[in-house]
Amino acid sequence: MSNKFIINSLMDNKRLSTQELLQLIYEKINEGFTEFEITASGQHNIGGPLWTNDGSPLEFDVKNPGQRVGSMGMPGTKIVVEGSAPADVGWLNSGAEIIVKGDGGDTTAHCAASGKIYIGGRVGARSGALMKHDPKYPAPEFWVLKNTGSFSFEFMGGGTAVVCGAGCENLESVLGSRSCVGMVGGTIYFRGKVKDLSSDVYIVDLDDNDKQFLFDGLVDFLEKIDRTDLLDSLSDFSQWMKIVAKSYDERKSNHLIPIKDFRKNNWVEGGIFSDVYEDDFEVAPIVAKGVHRLRYPVWENSAMTAPCENHCPIGIPTQKRIDLIRKGKLKEAIELVFNYSPFPASVCGKLCPNLCMEECSRGYVDEHIKVSDLGIMSRDVIAPSFPTTKAEKVAVIGAGAAGLAAAWQLKMRGYSVQVFDEDTEIGGKLRQVIPVERLPKEYLDKELGRLKTSGINFTLGHRVDAEVFGKINEYFDAVIIACGAHNPVVIPFEGNEKLVKGLEFLKRINRGEHPEIGKRVVIIGAGNAAMDVVTGAYKMGAEHVTAIDIQKPAAFDKEIEHAKSLGAEILYPCFTEKVTDDGVYLKDGRFLPADTVIISIGDRPDFGFLNPEYLDERGFVKLDEYKRSEINPKVFLAGDAIKQGLFTNAIAEGNHAAENVVHMFKGESLDTFTKAPQLPRDRVKTEYYQGLSAPAVQKIEAWDEKDRCMSCGLCRDCEFCLNACPEQAISKYTDANGNTIYVSNEERCIGCGICAGVCPCGIWTMKDNFENIDELASI
Amino acid sequence: MATIDTRIVKTNDISKDDLMWQIEYNPQRCTLCGKCAAACTFNAIKPDVERRRKVYSEGSEPKPNVKWITEPVIKQIVRTNKNCVGCGMCAKVCPNEAIKPVYNDKHRMNVKYRAENADSPKRGGRTNLHTEGRTLDKIKIGRISQMTDPSLDAQRHTFDLLAPFGRVLPPEQLPFVVKDGELKISQNGPQTRWIYPIIIGDMSIGALSTRMWEAVAIATAYLNEVVGLPVRMCSGEGGMPLKLLKSRYLKYMILQIASGHFGWDRIINTMPEMIEDPAGVLIKIGQGAKPGDGGLLLAKKVVRHIQEIRGVPKSDLLSPPNHQGLYSIEESVQKMFLSMNSAFKFRVPVAIKVAASTTSVSVYNNLLRDPYNIVGGFFLDGIAGGTGAAHEVSLDHTGHPIVSRLRDCYLAAVHQGKQGQIPLWAAGGIGMNGTLAADAFKMICLGANGVFTGKLILQIAGCVGNDYGKCNACNTGLCPVGITTQNRTLVDRLDVDKVAENIVNYFIATNTELKKLMAPIGNSSLPVGRSDALVTVDKNVATRLEIQHVC
Repeated sequence: MSNKFIINSLMDNKRLSTQELLQLIYEKINEGFTEFEITASGQHNIGGPLWTNDGSPLEFDVKNPGQRVGSMGMPGTKIVVEGSAPADVGWLNSGAEIIVKGDGGDTTAHCAASGKIYIGGRVGARSGALMKHDPKYPAPEFWVLKNTGSFSFEFMGGGTAVVCGAGCENLESVLGSRSCVGMVGGTIYFRGKVKDLSSDVYIVDLDDNDKQFLFDGLVDFLEKIDRTDLLDSLSDFSQWMKIVAKSYDERKSNHLIPIKDFRKNNWVEGGIFSDVYEDDFEVAPIVAKGVHRLRYPVWENSAMTAPCENHCPIGIPTQKRIDLIRKGKLKEAIELVFNYSPFPASVCGKLCPNLCMEECSRGYVDEHIKVSDLGIMSRDVIAPSFPTTKAEKVAVIGAGAAGLAAAWQLKMRGYSVQVFDEDTEIGGKLRQVIPVERLPKEYLDKELGRLKTSGINFTLGHRVDAEVFGKINEYFDAVIIACGAHNPVVIPFEGNEKLVKGLEFLKRINRGEHPEIGKRVVIIGAGNAAMDVVTGAYKMGAEHVTAIDIQKPAAFDKEIEHAKSLGAEILYPCFTEKVTDDGVYLKDGRFLPADTVIISIGDRPDFGFLNPEYLDERGFVKLDEYKRSEINPKVFLAGDAIKQGLFTNAIAEGNHAAENVVHMFKGESLDTFTKAPQLPRDRVKTEYYQGLSAPAVQKIEAWDEKDRCMSCGLCRDCEFCLNACPEQAISKYTDANGNTIYVSNEERCIGCGICAGVCPCGIWTMKDNFENIDELASI
Repeated sequence: MATIDTRIVKTNDISKDDLMWQIEYNPQRCTLCGKCAAACTFNAIKPDVERRRKVYSEGSEPKPNVKWITEPVIKQIVRTNKNCVGCGMCAKVCPNEAIKPVYNDKHRMNVKYRAENADSPKRGGRTNLHTEGRTLDKIKIGRISQMTDPSLDAQRHTFDLLAPFGRVLPPEQLPFVVKDGELKISQNGPQTRWIYPIIIGDMSIGALSTRMWEAVAIATAYLNEVVGLPVRMCSGEGGMPLKLLKSRYLKYMILQIASGHFGWDRIINTMPEMIEDPAGVLIKIGQGAKPGDGGLLLAKKVVRHIQEIRGVPKSDLLSPPNHQGLYSIEESVQKMFLSMNSAFKFRVPVAIKVAASTTSVSVYNNLLRDPYNIVGGFFLDGIAGGTGAAHEVSLDHTGHPIVSRLRDCYLAAVHQGKQGQIPLWAAGGIGMNGTLAADAFKMICLGANGVFTGKLILQIAGCVGNDYGKCNACNTGLCPVGITTQNRTLVDRLDVDKVAENIVNYFIATNTELKKLMAPIGNSSLPVGRSDALVTVDKNVATRLEIQHVC
């Protein structure tokens, strides 16, 4: 029997549905038919998946098929479409040979996984999409005589497609546009031009194997579609190229050029800011050295004042004295103080309230340094007689603390100094008014003796009046007026004539007199001088002494305690109404009975020897910022003559006057003696020091204070920084003068500040590398 | 025995407990390498010494011993201002994890700072109050094209991601003329540039370091010329580098003019030498992060080259809160738009930026009239926008969320049939979670033509700050990563190439993500106003934005 079954899908004016047509085919295959001639009318899916039990091939000759002809076709199936076929020819082809003599529609060969599809015309969009090659089966082939629509071969994973471009020589692209998107495998041969392919593929030239494959295939293909006439024109392989997918690695690789190359080659040369800001575009690390540090350390030895040095009116650097002791230079330590004061024992050791110790760092650990004991250590030092080496001559008017300090400084420097005083002995108020209980005679005598033998000339018992001053002014190259304040102030309330003046009272006692004052004494004023009056009053036999003041007493606590220990009562605020023979009436109605009322509220200088033009309307000498007379540039003032103060103030001013005189002689600019700022307290690391108990401190001798002094702002050469520096950036050397110097190497230093953090003395300071770091806005 | 701690502590002294950021330090792990202190730009930590005093008894009877050790450590500096800002540089450089800043959510600096300094605290960043969730995070893209209409393949298909900068005319007003029987566009129509829907901006030279600003400019040029994304950068108002003005890259720059008009004389004088027109001009009226406030650049950032570029002496630079000379909406449109359109002879589109406000719709309605076709865009900046420096009270307590206001403006245009004519651009926290594409996409669906983003760019560049009080010290000039500082020591920490590369990469990724969002809703061009694509489980959000409520 003939093995061929003929189906006409339109029978009796009735169209077979797809299902009816396909079921007819199944039935006939079961009956043993293997060839079909089908005149279809748009039925889908003709041709697959079909097979015979004995494996004999199936052949379909189809006219006018619907979509998906040959879909899911299997090996052994051959389908020939006479004319064109709509979309999805060979969809999921799994082995069939499908020949379309005319055109294929969209998505021809979509998902074809095996078998061969031959199209004798062109195919539509998305043809060849998702073709793949399962290695278990032969790879699919897809031949197109003319061209494909756009988006073809999307996601193609395997197999071979051949687009011959016959008659398409004028097309811009035989693959339409945006083809091969997502293509990961397989090969597409094409003849003619292509454009706008996806970036997932490369186009390469054919090799000999390609040409062989194509030639063999073309012979076959053209024969199947009845176009052998085209063999010659199509087998000019110079017109052919092939498309391959990028490999996985090629696809991954970043095709963008490095930004750095773009900046250097394309971008504005040198950068867009290069006209106003230089930049090499080098990148600094977060932790950097050299100029990229945020902060850098500076070893600032003695750049700031220690609290003792700062608070002492004279500026005696106690930390340096103790440092000399620490270094075993006891003699130098004892003598150092004489550069600052001729009265270390009398003033520092006995009289001074020791302002220097007010903020002594050690005081925050246990107790402040025993500075008065240090002063007393220098008591017995004998000074040499200083030779006169300079031509200039200086007169000093007044042999009190200020005048003697000035004379001492000038004499040490080799100037000829002549000191004038009305008194027959030098010492001024130190000797005239300070009770011996506060300043034992042997202390003062030792220190005055040192001055007397120092080479200073004294003219004593000789009051300087206007005439004498005139001569002094003429003869000497400079004059220092340190006449003190010896004119007690009295308030003109009723009965003021009955008052005893404190200064005179004290002077009489020190002269060895015994003024009668009775049992009850009221002292108006409660300053330091008044406390001396209290002491004197008790010494003169008073039994009940009361000091009154209009405000909180100005005397130092030490003096007040002393007065109270003698039994004195200190009252304030008390405003005196009047003084009578019975005592003092206060404005609030109180009455303080007294046998003697002493006033001690201050003394004024006596400038009777000066021409009034020297003086202001209040009777003080008109001075410039250097404490020099405004009208006579070689006249300087010092001490109580300027303003009543402590002995240390007087000594400081004496020193200053002397130094400015020296500056003047040398033609240098004068000094206002502004001190360097005090080292902030937290810069001294108290943490290192274990405090001592009060009895333990008591036992310490002055020269052992080297163990307690924290050497504020003065390097103690402990090498802590040297050891702590994480970058080993710090080194230490000795300079030409024998001083130890520490330096930090900026090539190594990262600016961490550990040196500053660990420095016990606050020497290392971190400086900001930033501009205006202290003006930072709030955060 | 004397006291162990020699500090004198008083009730009113500030203490570590008051601070917003506390340094957590473990001396056992510390090797005293000093890196943390070396790295701290805020000078908030310092090496110091501490005591370790141990009193103990040895043996079977009470027998006191005292062990006294003084040990170098790293300590936090506690001050009434200029404290640790939590930037974490110390932790970053510490080799041993021995130190880190920890946020103290019970801090008292809000009280202490004001009480101690009689000053209103200032900072950079954006709002740090999180009193409401982010609206954009409550919205999902819920309409997915499946069988109703074909979705697209994000990776493989072509998309048109372009947004208009410039006036868009309705069809009947398009300036077509028939000439020689052919339809031609007359040159007199408004200029509109079709650009990437995400503008980088607008951060000034001065607020940003030279390196940071240049890195953004390089990234922009690279995105255009190498990657092929037409991204534009808005200059901010801090002047323009002359070399950039004279280069061909000017075409990628939108020049900003704010109330200070800084640097515009240089722009004007450079016009004869320009070889390209700028991409646009943006008139800045207000800023979302600090609406009602003008620009603020504190003096320490006004270094020599900033003085030169801006044409000012060293001082705190405060721009007025509004443009002097503009007293009404009409005047803004007529005067400012006309001036700026004429600046480049009507070749360059001009848009305006305002802080989102309850008045935004009125302003937009007014702009929509635009009889002269000179209004090229309405930029709306919400409260979650960033700033280099502002009073904290402005940052945290003034402003308006962007989402509903943008939506309102869009719908106002829709009701007049004028949507799309004056492009809407939205900003203010767009991309603040790092998800720029999602935020941009949602804003576009709600009616924005595009978005602009600034703070995110800084994050990409390596900004360590966040919206929970971390760092936010842009105003101090001490930016630890060299982004918002003019101090060379710090600027040099910034890697221009790396920053530009990261910005480029971020945009490439964002571009992919935008497509990933456009594909499922089946749009191959930007879905402006396609609010049907959005859903939310939040009923209030749904009602307010007129999008679908789902659950």
